Amino acid sequence: MNNIAFNIALPLLAAFLLPVIHNGSAKASRLVGPFVLLAMCWFAAAYFIFIEHPVALALGGFLPPLGISFHLDQLSLLMAVIIPLMLLLLWPYTNREGFREEALLLLLAGASSGMALSGDLFNIYVFYELLSVASFGLAASTHNGAAFAATFRYLVISGLGTVLALTGIGLIYTQTGTLNLAHIGQLAAQLDNNVGLAAFALIVLGIGVKAEIFPVNGWVPEVYATAKPRISALLAGLISKLAVLAIVRLLVVAYADTDALSLLLVLGILGIIWGELSAWRAKDLKRMFAFSSIGQLGMVLVAFSIPGEAGMFAGLAMMLHHLLVKPALFMLTENWSGSISSLTGAARQSPLGAALFILFALSLIGVPPFPGFWAKLIMVTGLVGADDSLYLLALGILLTATVIEANYLIRCAIQLYAPADENSSQSAKHGRLTLSISSALGVVLIISLFSITPLGNKLYQIAAEASNRSLYINTTLSNAQVPALRKIQ
Amino acid sequence: MSAMELHWLLYAAAFGLIVIGIIGVVTLSNIFRIVLALVIAEAGANLLLVIAGYRFDAIAPILSGSSVATGVMVDPVPQAMVLTSIVIGVGIQALALALVIKVYQHYKTLDLREIHQRLMNDIDQESGVRPLLSPHKPAGKRPLPEPQTVTGYHDIARGGNE
Repeated sequence: MNNIAFNIALPLLAAFLLPVIHNGSAKASRLVGPFVLLAMCWFAAAYFIFIEHPVALALGGFLPPLGISFHLDQLSLLMAVIIPLMLLLLWPYTNREGFREEALLLLLAGASSGMALSGDLFNIYVFYELLSVASFGLAASTHNGAAFAATFRYLVISGLGTVLALTGIGLIYTQTGTLNLAHIGQLAAQLDNNVGLAAFALIVLGIGVKAEIFPVNGWVPEVYATAKPRISALLAGLISKLAVLAIVRLLVVAYADTDALSLLLVLGILGIIWGELSAWRAKDLKRMFAFSSIGQLGMVLVAFSIPGEAGMFAGLAMMLHHLLVKPALFMLTENWSGSISSLTGAARQSPLGAALFILFALSLIGVPPFPGFWAKLIMVTGLVGADDSLYLLALGILLTATVIEANYLIRCAIQLYAPADENSSQSAKHGRLTLSISSALGVVLIISLFSITPLGNKLYQIAAEASNRSLYINTTLSNAQVPALRKIQ
Repeated sequence: MSAMELHWLLYAAAFGLIVIGIIGVVTLSNIFRIVLALVIAEAGANLLLVIAGYRFDAIAPILSGSSVATGVMVDPVPQAMVLTSIVIGVGIQALALALVIKVYQHYKTLDLREIHQRLMNDIDQESGVRPLLSPHKPAGKRPLPEPQTVTGYHDIARGGNE
């Protein structure tokens, strides 16, 4: 059972073979992507279900800290399952234009799986860059001037982030002489100084470009307003979470007891304030959701900055909730791209769409029976338990942000159900594919609503495992396994 | 030059390049120059990585056959990493230039501020939101013609008193 490497190799191989297959038979090339994604699901799910304790795989045959290792615990495997599922959901089934988008999506699948599983800082950086390239291509795939200009700005900000992250990685290497996350964790005492903290700050700002962290998220509204809703859903829902996860791994392993937590907290608070206020001012749905996702990711960051297991638990709950809700909301903007005032009476034309909008909006605000409420409750409990004035400030801002969120989302909902007037646009109807994607996510939301207790228990178990620093270090440095294929040689 | 001096010089060079690049990206308005500034910043980051593995007076870390290491060797890991990051950098830069060409084809300008303005207008137009600023030029002559009757500040002041 050492086939988790296929989760990276298979999609990358398929992405590069897709043009060749497409030349042979266009029909066959359309089947390749979904088939590969299903296989990825299968491999990752098999690991996720049967794994009992975290495993480190030394892929090249060299044991860590020398060789590059993959860290398989419940958290990374959960992400490895979610990635292909999300891509299957947002796959361009009706696309008949060619293979480009599909190849880029496969590239994205491979790179993001690598990012979730890797236990090596430089490896994470390489996968992050691969993921960036794929996301630039996807963001520009609308093929109009606005999309190209938005993607260019995205690329420049991202490129700057790359430089910062690389500088941070270089600084960590000068301090510890290693890039294996577990080994860095073992030598964490050498990073507890100004240079070490600067390295962490640089990596946060660098990788934070994808995670929509406060000062480096200028690209968000433009890209999400110009890209296809499917792509926005993917970038806001999935990719941002992977970037957050990479930062959190580094935080847990090497910076758990340092000022790095306050840095994340402050950046998160600024993100919440900026994102929610901008969303409140936004006049069209796409940009409203773009800004609201900045605010939500700020909340995720604040949650992860709570020390200990409570922080990991709250962060994961907020993160997975946003991962479920935001893609569905972005999908609903497909034919509601006009200004919010032109949506008067849209509920009559698309009743299911409007109902789904209400469902997801209520969960996003955190109205009691919905999962969003439980996520926010866990976070509030964690913030109160942290027992620090800065965390209490964050609590106040979180609650204020919730009020602002409620205000702008309910304003939209009222607009949708208002009687139609001369402002309302003619074609506010959703396509069948859009509706089925959103409904699928809605069904997942409702199922998780009814099984909130077992889900919470499982999530707490995952969080406890992921926030256990000595377990991470021991798994990689003392018990790393060499894949069977390599042993035979 | 002693080992210490050389080390500081190299670090200063690396951070200098990064700072120059970042200042360039933030302040320049020509998008081609922005790409070049990004290249400079990336060179700085790569230099920093190489220095991380540098040892003064050390030899290249190459072992052939049964030879054993004699003396100090430089750390080969950062060199391997730099190779990777240079290749990635070139890929990103090529993509950036491709986008520069595409942007130029659509907007016929390389000025980032103008491109950004038009991008915002395009987004506003598509979403049916009225932009904050009118896209049209103001009517009439610019700069405004000089007012004719005014002869000077003191005249007005005196006129007002009378």
